[in-house]
Amino acid sequence: MLIRRLKYWMESARRSETLREEMELHLAEKAAELEADGMAPERARDEARRRFGNVGLKHEESREIWITRFWSELRQDVRYGYRTMIANKAFSALAVLSLALGIGANTAVYSFIESILLRSLPVADPESLVVLNWHSPPPFNADKQWVHVMHRVQGLAWPGGKGTMVSGMFPYGAFETLREENEENPVFSTLFGYFDGLKHNLAIRGQATRASVEYVTGGYFRGLGVLPAAGRLIDSEDDRPGAAPVAVISFATSQSRFGGASNAIGKSILVDNVPFTVIGVAPPQFFGVDPAASPDLYLPVHTNLLVDGPSAASMYHDGNYYWLEMMGRLRPGVSMARAQAVLAPRFHQWVATTATTSGELAKLPALKLNPGAAGLGSLRRRYSKPLFVLLIMVGLILALACANIANLLLARAAARRREMAVRLSLGAGRFRVVRQLLTESVMLASLGGALGVLFAIWGMRSLTLLLSHGQPNFTLHAELNWNVLGVTAALSVVCGLLFGLVPAIQSTRPDVMPALKNGREGGPRRRSQHVLVVAQIAISFLLLVGAGLFVRTLNKLDSINLGYAREHILLFSLNARQAGHHAPEITTFYTDLLKRFESIPGVSSATVSQSSIIHANRAGETYRGPIKIGTATVLGAGVMVVGPHFLTTMQIPLIAGRGIDGRDQPGSTPVAVISERMARTYFGNENPVGRRITFVDDKRDLQIVGVSANLRYGGLKHESSMTVFVAFSQFTPDGATYALRTAGDPLRYVRSVHEIVRKADSRIPVTDVVTQAAEIDRTISQELAFAKLSTGFALLALLIACVGLYGTMSYSVARQVREIGIRMALGAQRGAVVWMVLRRVLLLAAAGLAIGVPAALIASRLVKSFLFETQPNDPGTLALACIVLLSAAILAGYAPARRASRIDPVAALRQE
Amino acid sequence: MGRKAQKNDSLPGSLDMLILRTLSLRNLHGYGIVQFIQQSSGNELLVEEGSLYPALQRLELNGWIDGVWGVTSNNRRARIYKITAAGRKQLAVETRKYAKLTLAIARVMEAE
Repeated sequence: MLIRRLKYWMESARRSETLREEMELHLAEKAAELEADGMAPERARDEARRRFGNVGLKHEESREIWITRFWSELRQDVRYGYRTMIANKAFSALAVLSLALGIGANTAVYSFIESILLRSLPVADPESLVVLNWHSPPPFNADKQWVHVMHRVQGLAWPGGKGTMVSGMFPYGAFETLREENEENPVFSTLFGYFDGLKHNLAIRGQATRASVEYVTGGYFRGLGVLPAAGRLIDSEDDRPGAAPVAVISFATSQSRFGGASNAIGKSILVDNVPFTVIGVAPPQFFGVDPAASPDLYLPVHTNLLVDGPSAASMYHDGNYYWLEMMGRLRPGVSMARAQAVLAPRFHQWVATTATTSGELAKLPALKLNPGAAGLGSLRRRYSKPLFVLLIMVGLILALACANIANLLLARAAARRREMAVRLSLGAGRFRVVRQLLTESVMLASLGGALGVLFAIWGMRSLTLLLSHGQPNFTLHAELNWNVLGVTAALSVVCGLLFGLVPAIQSTRPDVMPALKNGREGGPRRRSQHVLVVAQIAISFLLLVGAGLFVRTLNKLDSINLGYAREHILLFSLNARQAGHHAPEITTFYTDLLKRFESIPGVSSATVSQSSIIHANRAGETYRGPIKIGTATVLGAGVMVVGPHFLTTMQIPLIAGRGIDGRDQPGSTPVAVISERMARTYFGNENPVGRRITFVDDKRDLQIVGVSANLRYGGLKHESSMTVFVAFSQFTPDGATYALRTAGDPLRYVRSVHEIVRKADSRIPVTDVVTQAAEIDRTISQELAFAKLSTGFALLALLIACVGLYGTMSYSVARQVREIGIRMALGAQRGAVVWMVLRRVLLLAAAGLAIGVPAALIASRLVKSFLFETQPNDPGTLALACIVLLSAAILAGYAPARRASRIDPVAALRQE
Repeated sequence: MGRKAQKNDSLPGSLDMLILRTLSLRNLHGYGIVQFIQQSSGNELLVEEGSLYPALQRLELNGWIDGVWGVTSNNRRARIYKITAAGRKQLAVETRKYAKLTLAIARVMEAE
């Protein structure tokens, strides 16, 4: 039907002719018949026509059968609109370009939102997956002590609302209990678990790299409904203690390391020196259940006993150790609410048995099921708010662009008033004329949208770069798909209607007579222009304030005194334990390496620690138990394991005693260096050197040998906390991060580093190679991105608003030529004329600010969490934004004002 | 703007049925159809001539009739319409509907 209609429509001209001929024939035959009955030829023809009815109308009605009138009129309008656009090249280009920028920016940001918030996991029937979480009351009691059944955790807990704690981590016992419950009372077809195994050493045919590992239970792949690209996937049989160690590798790994999925099957690999057999390859698009991760390797949960050593066995029996995450696939016909109703009471019952005190019993976690179609929410939690703020910013830009075009259209409508008046007086329906004008604006918007897609592609790339800020494992990838393009198309049409409607309605107001008489004033039109300009000024003020706040935040962050050196330091990490080194040999291995790094020409000093200072509070196993000085318990201190020369390499001043150095050996007295704040807090004005500090869980007494200056431990935004430095040789961690102080660009020494490590042990990959400066900047990548983007947006907004203001003022000056001429003829000075125009500009700007300032005060609260040491209502920022805006307004208004003052009174008066 | 085709038939849709019935007997051009209906109804049914052409377009769009250029009985070039197989089916449907309707009306009229 549709195709036939389309064919008819394409042949419409020919068919229209055919129809006309048919009707002519009909009339001729009728006339002939009447004539045969004895009527005069002339009368016969008239009679035939009379009986037939209105030929033109019937023709039209017949045509309407195959082309509805709408389409033919649309074609007319489009053709007419095209001509108008060509005739006003400058206007059209400006409009299309500003729209393209606006729509492109919106499309780019939306594509990110779509990729995080709206896309499902690439598995079978994602809608029936649910994630298991728990919520619990705030874990601290009135004395700020931890009172919660979760004694140890490996993974994340995040705040719910009102101080509550939310997490997806469970003890293994909870998994077993829920699995039993599900067998008795089946709500899931599969309940499966997994946890992030972090990075491990993966050696394939003697070549070692770091690979991210996901530990999965036997039901994982079955529950997700994933089919292997080659071989088979992990099954329940593979996931028990003592089973043959098997591994599933990601498709990408099979390609890069084996040259194809099928080549990998049956091959032996070493994970931290433990042999595994590859049994299968995951499908290409599969990335596990967390869109933020992309594991290279999937291992059965119980193989962590082999990889992480027998100490991991405690994880399975400790009901207070939270580490396993869970998902379930609902059986057909079972709702999430029903599954929740079945499982939550059982979990409650179980978790109550793990409480060791009544305080813990009062704060038990409660099971809560959440939809799992989109996988885990880590990306959502991290990026949805920043992207939401970005979307608001680009939305404002688009609104500005629309307002601007509406403004230009209003000005142009004045020029087209006669045209419209003529059309209306010739009998065109008002609706018809409005429709034609709207077609024109939607055409402009569609062109803008098409061009905007190009901007969007570019914008998505730069946004990815900005947000990732060089993080190698950045997993947030946006793409243009039909969903995004559909939204772009819809946005274009809506924009076209939005900026076209007011001008279209205004230019077709019924009072056409004054226009025909070439009347000049158009009160309502001027009013709408002013409203638009005021709105533009208010919007650009909002964006200016946003930019000001973000730049100020960045400045604050940049001016933070870290307490340690930022430049000329190269950082890189190794993990010798994962390559098969064990205590006590591992300590010698690390220390020998350090000596070799120190001897690289150009390296003035080198040191080693368990992690970089920035990542210190996120790094793996350091001492986390209670610390005592005498009888006082130390609260909120970070323990950092460091080698010799750490303080000098990092340029942390030594205040008393000595730093950790070569004298501190595995067998000698354990020593500690504490930071100044800690010394002040626990020793007052006494000298702490020579006193003792106790690591209770390790049953070790350390002798304090020195006091260092304060430093920001574990990130820029953290307060300068209390720090305890202990000797690397006495507390050797599994992995080590080396720091080299270099002459010139630190990255020049990377090659030598690789060389030395390869000679020492080729099984150990060097990872996380980065300069200290870059590592610090990474932690503020979001602030950097926001400062750059918002500044760009604010400048763009200011530019658009100025163009709008300039256009409006130029137009109003042009209309007032006569009035100004008269004033000047009566003796008005040029300065007075300039002031007359500028005063109007300032009035408009003031009106814009009157709306913008309160709006900014409200809106800036939204970005409060993005600011650092900056209040959302920062008066300096507000004042600066006001000044910038007023200056820009005066600048935009000055040209029309000057033009007004140059009006020749004689010429102006003669004009009419 | 917004003018709709008017149908002056006493029974809506009956014009389509009459045209299909006519064309099921012989192939005719527009004016021929008008004449045939008029004559075979004993001049009782006068087709509003103007409505004929929209109706023909509609029937052709639905694929029930097919028009080709040909020559009329008095040797003039005209579009001659033919009924298609789908058209015959449609005619059967409409005839049945019409029979039901007239029967129903007759029952009402005869009810006591």
